[in-house]
Amino acid sequence: MKKTFGLSVQKYILLILAILISLYALAPLFWAGIGAFRTEQDIFKYMNPLTWQSFIPAPFTWDNVQVVLQSSFPRALLNSIIVTASTVALGLAVSVPAAFALSALKFRGQGLVFAVILLSFLIPFDSIAIPLSATFRTLHLQDGFLGLILPGIGNGLAIFQLRQFFLNVPLELKEAARLDGMGWFALMMKIYVPLAKPALIGAGLLLFIFQWQAYLWPLLIAPDPQYIQAPIAIANYAGEHSVAYGAIFLAGIVTALVPLVVLLFTQKYFTQSIATSGSKG
Amino acid sequence: MPKLAARTSATTRSGSAATRPGWLKRLTGRESYVAFWFLLPALAMLVLLRLWPLGGAIATSTQASGFGKTGFVGIDNYVRILQDATFLNALKVTLLFTVLVNPFQIVLALLFAVLLVQKIPAVGLWRSIIFLPAAVPQSVSAVIWGIVFRPDGPMNGALKVLGIPQQPFLTSPSQALLSIIVIVSWVGVGFWMMFLIAGLKDIPAELYEAAEVDGAGSLRKFFSVTIPQLRRPLLFVLVADTVANFLVFAPVQILTKGGPTGSTDLVMVEIFNKAFTTGDLAGATAGTVLLVLVVLAVVTAQFRLLPGRD
Repeated sequence: MKKTFGLSVQKYILLILAILISLYALAPLFWAGIGAFRTEQDIFKYMNPLTWQSFIPAPFTWDNVQVVLQSSFPRALLNSIIVTASTVALGLAVSVPAAFALSALKFRGQGLVFAVILLSFLIPFDSIAIPLSATFRTLHLQDGFLGLILPGIGNGLAIFQLRQFFLNVPLELKEAARLDGMGWFALMMKIYVPLAKPALIGAGLLLFIFQWQAYLWPLLIAPDPQYIQAPIAIANYAGEHSVAYGAIFLAGIVTALVPLVVLLFTQKYFTQSIATSGSKG
Repeated sequence: MPKLAARTSATTRSGSAATRPGWLKRLTGRESYVAFWFLLPALAMLVLLRLWPLGGAIATSTQASGFGKTGFVGIDNYVRILQDATFLNALKVTLLFTVLVNPFQIVLALLFAVLLVQKIPAVGLWRSIIFLPAAVPQSVSAVIWGIVFRPDGPMNGALKVLGIPQQPFLTSPSQALLSIIVIVSWVGVGFWMMFLIAGLKDIPAELYEAAEVDGAGSLRKFFSVTIPQLRRPLLFVLVADTVANFLVFAPVQILTKGGPTGSTDLVMVEIFNKAFTTGDLAGATAGTVLLVLVVLAVVTAQFRLLPGRD
């Protein structure tokens, strides 16, 4: 097949498809990103009909950057990063052993435990948040990072997801390692975890999204401005009498860019297949 | 690490269950002990922070709704909301939404995943960009889409360029639910795609090579290798996406509040209305418990009917 810049025609078609899908994902954010550098009066101009000014912020303004920097948002973003990173780390530490037990171990009551884990993620958290926050208050867990982090650590969905991937680890590996005298904890850390890195990233995403999107819970349990979270700082731009759309767009996009950078760095782990690394390792 | 023949994990598992050596059977008691400690932290979290509050909600749902009455009323609140035309409409809208949105999202997520495991330049960048909408705070993406879908918004601006007349989108009973599906899919598809990419990366290349030796084309390989090998991640995505879509709330509350004329009144939105607009807390918790039961029934059916649960 003819190649241009080392790519076949087929690869070019796939690349163009990938770019088109990326454009669909970016288009609304692109439009909002332009709005972040417009004055409030200009944001709703140039939407329909489309003109060259629909795609370029002219006249250009830094006003929204000023508004965002002077608001509680920088602090809130840092708080959100602290809470979410702690949740992902602790959540993985809790979920990985649970998923390992459900996939690599045989024990009585396995079905019941799995049912409890399934039921746990069918419950809409926001519906139980109000009574749960009352319990947290009696335990003096309000206005602190611990109270914000705790509900995110136990994530049935992350356990279920890890279990589905751990089940793909060939049983021969487990049995051979056990015959060699390897302990259960070592088996989990040295065989299951390295073989399921993409699944760990997946579990990390589930733990991440729960906290990064949390709105009602932080509002209930940590109203102290010291512990404000990004989504709440952004909602504060919508006042009773006016809405600072430019600031909402800018802060919203910055909030999304933080995980984007983290995700880009994890891409190199989306490479191996368990069976190939099992047979060649 | 020991050498292994490239076999599918399915045959490996069933094979070893039948020929389990005696030493392993003797260890089963000890395995229960190990399993207990490995599960304890997670189960403690889930029981205390999810199931216990659900128990509280069930208790609240059996109390009088407070309109001049107090005390235990049994299943009265359930009977009441199941005779309530608004709640029944919400159930109907939710089921319609579920039937439309889940297949749509899963097929798209699978197609995108298959595309983005190919060796194309900067593939990690495209994956991350397509994931990006899930990381935007829900309130922000709802506000952005609310403007995009305005009658004088950029979507109609783009349609005009293509010569298509102005559409009402969120303001029309016939288009509002479809518009909501577009919005939640913009958020969800890239998110679920990541799990399918992880699953596709898990499929041994040998299986594709063997299928090629047998003369299988791309489509045959997709249905005879990819889909069967992907059954566990696919079951996860199907269950997780179904649950997530049953619990959709924020975008609808921000954009339509269930309207126009109840066309986007999902159960979660209706529960919120009962609790905070009508002040019917008992009815709202009864609605929550009913919703959990409906989701439980659907998820159980998915587990029973589809491969990939073990």
